Amino acid sequence: MTQAFNMADLSTALPEVVLSLVAMVILMLDFIVPKGRRDWLGYLSVLGVLLTLMVLCRQWGATQSAFSGQYLIDPFALFFKILFLASGGLIILMSIGYLRGEGADSGEFYALILFATLGMMLMASAVDLLILYIGLETMSICIYVLAGFLKRERRSNEAALKYLLMGGFSSAIILYGIVMLYGLTGATGLKEIASTLTADTLSNPALILAMVMLAAGFGFKIAAVPFHMYIPDVYEGAPTPITALLAAASEIAGLVILLRVFLVAIPGLQDRWALLFYVLSLLTMTVGNVVAIAQSNIKRMLAYSSIAHIGYLLIGVVAGRELGISATLLYTVVYALMTLGAFAMVILLCVGEVKGERIDDFAGLAQRSPMAAAAMLILLLSLAGVPPTAGFVGKLYLFGAAIERGYILLALIAVVNSAISLFYYMKVAVAMYMRDLPPAGLALSPSRPLRVVLFVTVVGTLAIGIYPGPFLDLAKSSIAGLW
Amino acid sequence: MLLSYLPILILVLLAAGFALATLFLSSALGPRRPSKDKLSTYECGIDPVGSARERFSVKFYLVAMLFIIFDIEIVFLYPWAVILNSLGLFGLVEMFFFLGILLIGLLYVWKKGGLEWTT
Amino acid sequence: MPEPAFFVVMLAKIAVVFGLMLLSVAYLTWLERKVISDFQVRLGPMRVGPHGLLQPIADGIKLMFKEDIIPEAADRAIYVLAPTLALIPAFISFAVIPFGDRVRLFGQSIDMVISDVNVGLLYLFGVASLGVYGIVLGGWASNNKYALLGGLRSAAQMISYELSMGLSVVGVLMLSESLSLVRIVGAQSKAWFILLQPIGFLIFLICAIAETNRAPFDLPEAETELVAGFHVEYSSMKFAMYFMAEYANMITVAALATTLFLGGWRGPFLPPVVWFLAKLYLVIFLFIWIRATLPRFRYDQLMRFGWKVLLPLALANIVITAAFVALR
Repeated sequence: MTQAFNMADLSTALPEVVLSLVAMVILMLDFIVPKGRRDWLGYLSVLGVLLTLMVLCRQWGATQSAFSGQYLIDPFALFFKILFLASGGLIILMSIGYLRGEGADSGEFYALILFATLGMMLMASAVDLLILYIGLETMSICIYVLAGFLKRERRSNEAALKYLLMGGFSSAIILYGIVMLYGLTGATGLKEIASTLTADTLSNPALILAMVMLAAGFGFKIAAVPFHMYIPDVYEGAPTPITALLAAASEIAGLVILLRVFLVAIPGLQDRWALLFYVLSLLTMTVGNVVAIAQSNIKRMLAYSSIAHIGYLLIGVVAGRELGISATLLYTVVYALMTLGAFAMVILLCVGEVKGERIDDFAGLAQRSPMAAAAMLILLLSLAGVPPTAGFVGKLYLFGAAIERGYILLALIAVVNSAISLFYYMKVAVAMYMRDLPPAGLALSPSRPLRVVLFVTVVGTLAIGIYPGPFLDLAKSSIAGLW
Repeated sequence: MLLSYLPILILVLLAAGFALATLFLSSALGPRRPSKDKLSTYECGIDPVGSARERFSVKFYLVAMLFIIFDIEIVFLYPWAVILNSLGLFGLVEMFFFLGILLIGLLYVWKKGGLEWTT
Repeated sequence: MPEPAFFVVMLAKIAVVFGLMLLSVAYLTWLERKVISDFQVRLGPMRVGPHGLLQPIADGIKLMFKEDIIPEAADRAIYVLAPTLALIPAFISFAVIPFGDRVRLFGQSIDMVISDVNVGLLYLFGVASLGVYGIVLGGWASNNKYALLGGLRSAAQMISYELSMGLSVVGVLMLSESLSLVRIVGAQSKAWFILLQPIGFLIFLICAIAETNRAPFDLPEAETELVAGFHVEYSSMKFAMYFMAEYANMITVAALATTLFLGGWRGPFLPPVVWFLAKLYLVIFLFIWIRATLPRFRYDQLMRFGWKVLLPLALANIVITAAFVALR
């Protein structure tokens, strides 16, 4: 542990360094670029993300630990870093038009998204509880600000305040868990914790309590039931791109640290925490799907649907081992793609006074823009898990893993849930294809970056659905050496 | 090591004792003739208007937050400054990055108008 | 376990320093009044004792016998506690400042410092910054608008200038390679740090004046607009305690300036303690001189000066010094 800080350590964190530099440059350019032309800062941010991706790809296949063993680059981290960067880039792209529409174009917005992405990357690489916590806070604090970015909008303020309070609360719970783990083992490194836990200490009630606290804290971050109460209001009030960021990136980042901590630090308690997540998964998908039926606001509906999807993702965690975890990894990609696409559609419908947030706003979309309606249909089918989309493939592997490991009841309930979800997703499809266009409907004029986002997400959803092989292989190879 | 803090502890007790003794003595020696006017809040002789428990300028909060950020920077600078001689060039460059990032922060706050008191 | 003589010496040092501190605080008020009156071509206190020399004692006795008023609207517990919170840090921060060279006395080698803590400078800054609690809590607990404003202003001012103060001594730390004030004095055997760190000294001096809330930075008290600032409701010895804390702080920062930049107790011919006191009072005289000469800042000017001039200047000073030290 007394190893000195050196240049080699720094080079392992080069992508993070690049990203933070880009974010700072954007922040400063905000003063130079006049208002109204700050779209350019958005494009520049996307370039920065691409640059970071390029630097990151040099770490392909590498496994190296740095900063006195607190930081690790391995395929698992790389997999999620690429996912976070891609999500971050797409979210910036969909923000460009959105911010112009809201009259709030600003370099700060992009810089904060970049910093939040940086926090997620830290979380992906952290193998020490403290680094992990720093990453978590870097991400969360940026998102607290972003959620309240539309300062004049009451709902946005409410979202920011709720998210701040609940986020702070859950961070504190995570910290309690960390403190107890440290107190029991005298270590903050995940591997060190695992190696100090013996058969004796494993049955220590304090350790169980630490585990429960961590699970509850992470549960808040990934919006698992019963820690989900704040999610619908926050999703509804936050600017739509930030809702997408919360759903597609922040929750997955929470899942990443959950996987790391539970798989690496306390694998000895697997039968206990598998049970815990079994219950959480069951509750999460059922509550998410059932409540989603009653929603008339599409952002709220997607909020509950994202809760439900977190429930599906937890099935993989319960199933464990290569099969379950790799299925979870694959499904994170699928989930990110279709969620981003769905929120991009909400932004697309945001024309003039219409916010595109009510399901009624989707009425007659097929007449207005057949292309947009078709794209939304594909995304909805994927969300519901209908072949030949990515959602189907992802669920197939998740439920398959559960059955393989003997969790047949869980898989069965998940299938029933998918059937329920089909109902409310199809409500939107019915509105698009069966109902008439309201007379006030203005013509849609999606900005070019938004078209890119929709194209990428829809094509990605179809590609994984039709030809999942390489993606599954990637997910499988990414968890090698995780244990 | 810890022994070097013993004199300081004694000094704290001494100072606290002195303060308490002063408070006690003045309350014992001084007269006590309270009246309604004497005990009312001083507002230049006029009857006080409302309470002083009101909201005050948000600027003060801003200063407090900025202070914490830069004060932590200073805490990081101290150990670095003490061993700079043995760190050599790498330590220098590394710390310049750290200082540079904070300088960007300062410039940002400056440009944003966070340091302005007249609006 | 150290021998009993160690404890005897320690207690003796504490008693002497504490006593001298009280005496200095008392006579500093006299000195200030005298010096200011000289600047203004008048006599100052002359009645009590020769040249008013007994004036501080008379003041003390008078304050002791005054009625101690606690306003009805005040938060009693905090109102009483606040002056104590201001006084204690002011009197204990001096503990790490060396006031003389090591001497041999009765076969003992005695350090002329109450305690040579190895992180002395951090201790001093840490303790000194606690003083702001006394002021801001006193201002708040009085439940008086002037007091609240004075307390807030004072807090904002003190923390703002604390930054530049903390940064201004980083250059000294690089040169001395230690946080112990005894070692810092030791490192000045060749050259006083004022020669190597003139900008640092200047920033330190300005911040020291602001930290002690003295003119031209005496906005927390600004008689003309805030009547007396945070201690407007305080009377009797509670008021005196704020006063003592302020003067004790003044002595401490002057001693710190002496130690960090003026070679501490070092000097030829005369005994070290005399040199130390001479430099200390020179700095204090400078403080009084500045008070007699300069008008008060406006609050926005004050904050602008602290954040936009001193802070960048202190950072630049660090960068230049660091480059010299590391590339030497």
